[in-house]
Amino acid sequence: MSTFEIFIALVKGGIQVTIQVTFFSTILAVILGFISGLARMSRYKIIRFISGAYIEIFRGTSLLVQLFWIYFALPIIGIRFSPISTGILAIGLNYGAYCSEIVRSAIQSVPAGQTEACIALNMTKAQRMRRVILPQAFTMMLPNLGNQLIELLKSTSLVSMITLNDLTYQGNILNATTLETTKIYTMLLAIYFIIALPITQCTKFLERKFSEGRA
Amino acid sequence: MTPIVSYKKITKVYDELEVLKGIDFDIYPAEKVALIGPSGSGKTTLARLLMTLEKPTSGTIEVEGEYLWHEEINGKLVKAGNKHLRKMRKDIGMVFQHFYLFPHMTVLKNVMEAPVTVLGMSKKEARNQAEEMIEKVGLEDKLDVYPSQLSGGQKQRVAIARALVMKPKIMLFDEPTSALDPELVGEVLDVIKEIADEGDMTMLLITHEMDFAKEIADRVAFFNEGVIAEQGSPEELFNNPKTARLQSFLSRLN
Repeated sequence: MSTFEIFIALVKGGIQVTIQVTFFSTILAVILGFISGLARMSRYKIIRFISGAYIEIFRGTSLLVQLFWIYFALPIIGIRFSPISTGILAIGLNYGAYCSEIVRSAIQSVPAGQTEACIALNMTKAQRMRRVILPQAFTMMLPNLGNQLIELLKSTSLVSMITLNDLTYQGNILNATTLETTKIYTMLLAIYFIIALPITQCTKFLERKFSEGRA
Repeated sequence: MTPIVSYKKITKVYDELEVLKGIDFDIYPAEKVALIGPSGSGKTTLARLLMTLEKPTSGTIEVEGEYLWHEEINGKLVKAGNKHLRKMRKDIGMVFQHFYLFPHMTVLKNVMEAPVTVLGMSKKEARNQAEEMIEKVGLEDKLDVYPSQLSGGQKQRVAIARALVMKPKIMLFDEPTSALDPELVGEVLDVIKEIADEGDMTMLLITHEMDFAKEIADRVAFFNEGVIAEQGSPEELFNNPKTARLQSFLSRLN
């Protein structure tokens, strides 16, 4: 098989699942990250506790095991997800836990004076979060969120373990049939790298846009 | 005349440190009061309590005859809720030592922000009023500039415009020139002087600029170790200090 044919076979067979899982689990992770990051700072102890428990559990255990657990263990108690939903859910939950720490630490690093200025202007807590704190925190969290997204993309290769036909799964199949190991895995590296590029560029673009005018 | 602000037996304790030791202090409508005294003497805390940035440990503060940190529910005095605090804050504005401008907004947006989000003013109306205030502090050529491109003095003038646009009855200036390079102090004092000269606004000015306090204040209060050690007209205080503490404080400045 020529290098080109390998490229076509990999992309044709697996790229759709990889991108799908990356896309939807990114959305899930970012949403969960914001919700649990904000919840971590709630004035209600119970909300802080729930979000803390979520973060610790999903950061403290392996993504692969979480994937297996949702796919193989949950059906025993009657909860069943399709492989693709399992992949999105596990990765989203796992990276959501990491994102939440990024969100929380960025919000907490906005100087306290900003909050005081908002109080002096009689803004409500929601107004000051939305108009003053989050826009500043967002700029600070972007580089870290971008890194997490790239990590997330790379970790989608784990979904091949639950029978999902993604890039890595396709690579393994091709390898078993053609034994062109070097070519296949080099090509696989290159494809992941190419998918990661727009994410990096997009983060850089947003960083520039949101830090406009600031020293 | 009834005071517009009335502190009664106010104490503030941080951990072990008693910053305010039972302050009784009245401020009258349109009065310009300067608070002077060594760092850590409690004068900033007094202003921060009034801006509701900090809660008194004990005692009460009344603003225009209403409790600031308490509200009456069924005849009982209870801790003020958010709604009450928001109502009370409407008439109070504050300018901080370190400006605290919003770095992600231009000068114009900084000043327009609260009228639009807090007062629900239309963008057009808010823009008009913001521009008027920015002109008042002499920065009409900086409307679309971000705070990072301004000097300290300019930043503080924007902060003053941002507070003024909310039309507070009471303005608190917490060491507004202490963070500035000496050559930039004058421009900020000029703006504050202009506001003072308009007459209507009640002003509480915490400052280390004694000449300026002398110039604009109707009354000066000298803070020392959590109490008001001496107060009176600027002439009385600066020309004829009675307490030894104030005498040594003033002599150390000269």
